[in-house]
Amino acid sequence: MDHIVTDILEFIFLMWFAIFSAGTLDVLINIGIIILKIAAVVAVVMTHVAYATYFERKAIGHMQVRLGPMRVGPHGILQPIADFVKLFFKEDIIPAQADKPLFYIAPVIAVFAAMSSLAVIPFFNGFVIANLNIGLLFILAMSSIGAYGIIMAGWSSNSKYSFLGGLRSSAQVISYEIAMGLSLVGVVMMAGSLNLTDIVKAQQAYPLKMYIFPQFLGFFVFMVAAFAETNRTPFDLPEAESELVAGYFVEYSGMRFALFFAAEYIGMILMALLGAICYLGGWNGPFQIPYIPFAWLLVKVYCIVFLFYWVRATVPRYRYDQLMALGWKIMIPLTLLNIVITGVIKILT
Amino acid sequence: MEFKKIIKTIFFTEILKGMALTFKSMLSPAVTRQYPEEKHPAMPGFRGLHALVVDPATGKEKCIACGLCAAICPSQCIYIYSTEGPDNKKFAERYEIELTRCIYCAFCVEACPVGAIVLTEHYEYTDYSREALYMTKEKLMANWNKYMAGPKGEEYFKKFWHPTADDYRAYDGQPMFRKREG
Repeated sequence: MDHIVTDILEFIFLMWFAIFSAGTLDVLINIGIIILKIAAVVAVVMTHVAYATYFERKAIGHMQVRLGPMRVGPHGILQPIADFVKLFFKEDIIPAQADKPLFYIAPVIAVFAAMSSLAVIPFFNGFVIANLNIGLLFILAMSSIGAYGIIMAGWSSNSKYSFLGGLRSSAQVISYEIAMGLSLVGVVMMAGSLNLTDIVKAQQAYPLKMYIFPQFLGFFVFMVAAFAETNRTPFDLPEAESELVAGYFVEYSGMRFALFFAAEYIGMILMALLGAICYLGGWNGPFQIPYIPFAWLLVKVYCIVFLFYWVRATVPRYRYDQLMALGWKIMIPLTLLNIVITGVIKILT
Repeated sequence: MEFKKIIKTIFFTEILKGMALTFKSMLSPAVTRQYPEEKHPAMPGFRGLHALVVDPATGKEKCIACGLCAAICPSQCIYIYSTEGPDNKKFAERYEIELTRCIYCAFCVEACPVGAIVLTEHYEYTDYSREALYMTKEKLMANWNKYMAGPKGEEYFKKFWHPTADDYRAYDGQPMFRKREG
C-alpha cells in the first residue's frame, strides 16, 4: 500500500515539476485549448446525436411511405428538442428490487465509453483532442467498456427482459469485437500505424485517397461488425422490441434512459467516423473544399449513418444462433483471409 | 450448391434488392394524411353522431316511441321514456343516447320502422366531459337540423336506410307498424 501512495506523490510532484519548468502560462493555455476542443467536439456530436434520431425517424418513415415526425416545428424539425425536454423532466423511476449502485452507474459507463472514444478521432488535419499513437486500439477498448454498461444495466435492473438483453448484448459484442478488431488489422498493416491521423495520411497514396478498394473485404466485415457493435437491426437482439420489450434498458426511464439512448447514437456516429477514417479516407476527398476542412468527413459519415437507417428499414432481425454462426464462422475467417492477403501483398511489393 | 446460388449468397443480391425497394419507396410520396389540417370527407352513409329526424312539416320528431331501437341496441345505450301526449298519442318524453357506450352499429337505424333516427356523417365531437357526450332529445334534434336537414336527409334515407315500413306489403288486416299520420 505504501509504495502506491509514494508513487502517486512522486507522479504529482513530477507533474508540477513539468508544469513549472515549462512555464505555467503555456500549460494553462494548452489546457484551455484542449477544453475548448472538447467543448466543440461534444457540442457538435451531441447536436448530431439529437438530429440523428430525427433523421432516422424521417428516413425510416419515408421508406415506409409515411411522413415521420411533422408536428413540432416545420416538418418536425424541433422534435429532438421536445424529446430532450420531455426526457429530462420525466420521473426517474428506479425498481425497488434493483441493485441501486450498479443501476445508477450503468448508463454513465455507457455514455462515458462512447464519448471518450471521440477524443482520438481526427476531424480534420491537426484537429484531434488527444493524438494517441494507439488511437484505434483505444476506440476498440472503449467500445468493450461500453458493453460493461449494458451488462450492468441488464443485471442490476433485476428484470428478466433486461437480463436477457444484457446477456445477449455481451455475447454479441464480444463475438463481433473480434471480427471488428481483425478487420481493422488490415488497415493497420497497410498504414503501419494505429494512429488515426497517420492512417488517414497513409491513404492519400491510394485510389480516391481511400483504403476501401484494397481493403474491400475488411470494409465489408467492419460494416457488419459495426451494425452488431451498435446493436442495430439486423443484429438488434439485445433490444429486440418484439421479444424483450426494449432489452437491457427496460427498467430505465427519464434521463437515465436518455443517457443509454445517447450512448447508442454516439456509438453509431463513432462507428461511422471510424469507418470513414479507416476505409474512406477521412477528411480527404477527390478535391479540396475551401474553408470547411471537415466537409468530406461529414459527407462520408452522413452516408454511413444513412446506411444504418436504410438497413434498419429493410432487413429483419437475425435469429440468435444465426448471429453467432455468422460472426464466428464467416466474419472471423473472412478477416483472417483478409489479413493473410494483405500481408502477402505487402511482402511482395 | 450450384454456381448461381453461390454468387447470390456472396453478393447478398436479395438484401440489395430489398434495399433498392426501400430506397424507391422513400422517394415516393407518403400516403399519410395530416388529419386536423387535411380532413378526409366521410363516405356517404358513414355512421357518425346520432340525430333524431325532425319532420319538416310539423317541426317535431318522427319518433313514435315504440322502443325497437332501444330493444335491439347491443350496448343498451338508448333510453326512452314514453308518455301520452295531449292528442292521446304515445310519444317519447325523453329520448337519450349515451355516446360513450354506443358502438355505432346502426342497428337502431335499421330497426326503426318510421325512419326516425339516423347516424350523421359528423364524427368530430370529442369532449372533455361526459355530459357533452350524453345526448338528450333536444340535442339529437339539433343534430338533425345541423347536419342532415334538407335534401341531404331525404337522400340519406333513399340511399342507405330505407325505413322498413315504407315498402312493407301485407294483406289487409295484417297488424304492422305504420307511420304516424299528420
